[in-house]
Amino acid sequence: MKKFLLSSLMVLLALIVLLPFLWTFSTSLKPLNEVNKYPPEWVSVNMSLKPYSDMFFYLPFSTYTLNSLIVASSSTMLTLVIGSLAAFSFSRFQFAGKKIFLMAFLLSQMLPGASVIIPLFQLLQKIGLYDTHIGLILVHTALLLPFVIWLLYGFFLGIPREVEDAALIDGCSRLQALRKVILPLALPGIGATALFAFLGSWNEFFFALLLTSSDSTKTIPVGIGLFVGEYLDVWNQMAAAAVLFSLPPLILFMFTRKTFVKGLVAGACK
Amino acid sequence: MRKSTPYLLLVPALLFTVFVVVYPLVQNLINSVCDVSMIRGGKGWIGLRNYELVFKDTVFWLAFRNTAVYAVVGTVVALVVGLGFALLLNLKVGRINSIAAFLFTIPWVISPVVAGFAWKWILNDRFGIVNHWLASAGLVQIGTSWLGDPQTALVCVMLARIWQFYPFAMVMFLAGLQAIPQEQYEAAAVDGATMIRRFFYITIPNLKSVSSVLLVLGVIWSFNDFNMVFVMTRGGPMNASMVLPVLVRELTFVHFDLGRGSALSIIIFVMLVSLSYLYLRMVSEKDAA
Repeated sequence: MKKFLLSSLMVLLALIVLLPFLWTFSTSLKPLNEVNKYPPEWVSVNMSLKPYSDMFFYLPFSTYTLNSLIVASSSTMLTLVIGSLAAFSFSRFQFAGKKIFLMAFLLSQMLPGASVIIPLFQLLQKIGLYDTHIGLILVHTALLLPFVIWLLYGFFLGIPREVEDAALIDGCSRLQALRKVILPLALPGIGATALFAFLGSWNEFFFALLLTSSDSTKTIPVGIGLFVGEYLDVWNQMAAAAVLFSLPPLILFMFTRKTFVKGLVAGACK
Repeated sequence: MRKSTPYLLLVPALLFTVFVVVYPLVQNLINSVCDVSMIRGGKGWIGLRNYELVFKDTVFWLAFRNTAVYAVVGTVVALVVGLGFALLLNLKVGRINSIAAFLFTIPWVISPVVAGFAWKWILNDRFGIVNHWLASAGLVQIGTSWLGDPQTALVCVMLARIWQFYPFAMVMFLAGLQAIPQEQYEAAAVDGATMIRRFFYITIPNLKSVSSVLLVLGVIWSFNDFNMVFVMTRGGPMNASMVLPVLVRELTFVHFDLGRGSALSIIIFVMLVSLSYLYLRMVSEKDAA
């Protein structure tokens, strides 16, 4: 009996928590005349996937999706390469100022976007990278780096020194040891880090909003965030965009929950 | 191995940090004491005038108050909600537990822009489901505009923010709960302590360090949060829900007043550095203990 009550409570709470999404999902399937109807209804016979195709057809969401994919995957790769070099250095060498550098990276994660956006905007404009993919990729890479370095640092520390020493004795150089021994061993950790990085860039809104201006560079969150103000009448298409945009994070989260939660707990306590 | 190798490996990462942290901060300081407007293009030392203008602006103080409320009250409520969910999950009701844990965490995984959109839509004055329910129950009139009313706009945005942040607290609290040594509870049970007493004398003290880290992190993150307010209200109506990060955008990219925008962003930076210092001290104390 107690078990039944607790389970029901959980189901009820889950419904309350997910209400905004359930309502958005319902809206994303309705034709416009039913979206703008009072009283609103959860399901109707006229539901279809039409708002999803409309959104790609009438609103520039196919370009936005492409932009999001380009920016998120490029910044993920760039961050991983640069981040693993730094993490390798931190985890395998003792050097003066190591603690300070580590702290500096941790601190730069706290930095408010609002306090750096103006000079970044000016700089990118000056060097012709404002409103370009490359500009946004560079900024996202820089934003993701501290977190990625911290995660990789932890994963690298978990790989025994002896393995690397053996490689060095066999005649590998340091960088070869990193490439041929450490990286393959750290692969699961690197995979999880890549997911964090990808999602970080995929969901990023503030810089993407303020460092782009044309449809050919805007990412999906920028599209949604701006249209909410401007195209209030096509709520069903906006809802469709919101649902599609949420799928990658949701799916990734579903498959990596354990690592995700572990990394979360470790990252915040460290 | 050469002595410079570890430093060389750090160079690329450092270059990027200089690019988004060091350079912008220095340039911001310069902007804030100069007369730079994107339209006029004027230049020249004007001392602390921009700061003076910011501090004289009533919108700044309103935004400051809103940001403080949004960050502190929002975080505290999110922690309480998160703790409640964590306690529930910690009862381990069987199979449904892990599914529930997954569903409860979803708000945190989703992009803030989507979260803002979804909340704006359920709170919609005419076609939102919440208004429909409240009106059917006779609690409000049909067409009540929660986000359009200066009295309620900030509360609504906070609600959405709490909804998005509580899963993080939940996950952390759950880890904290599971780390409490079972012996403490057994000993208390032997001594005849009631469930309520066990909660206040064992559970709560054991969660103290997690809660303080969560509180500071939550306040820092909410203090920085631009997304939820921008998507839901853009700081309106009549600045009723204006927060500092949104005000920076407004000053700089709407009014094209770079000087005041820069001064405000330096002010935000100083506030954040103080908060981060608090966080670092707490983390290092924990390491030392």
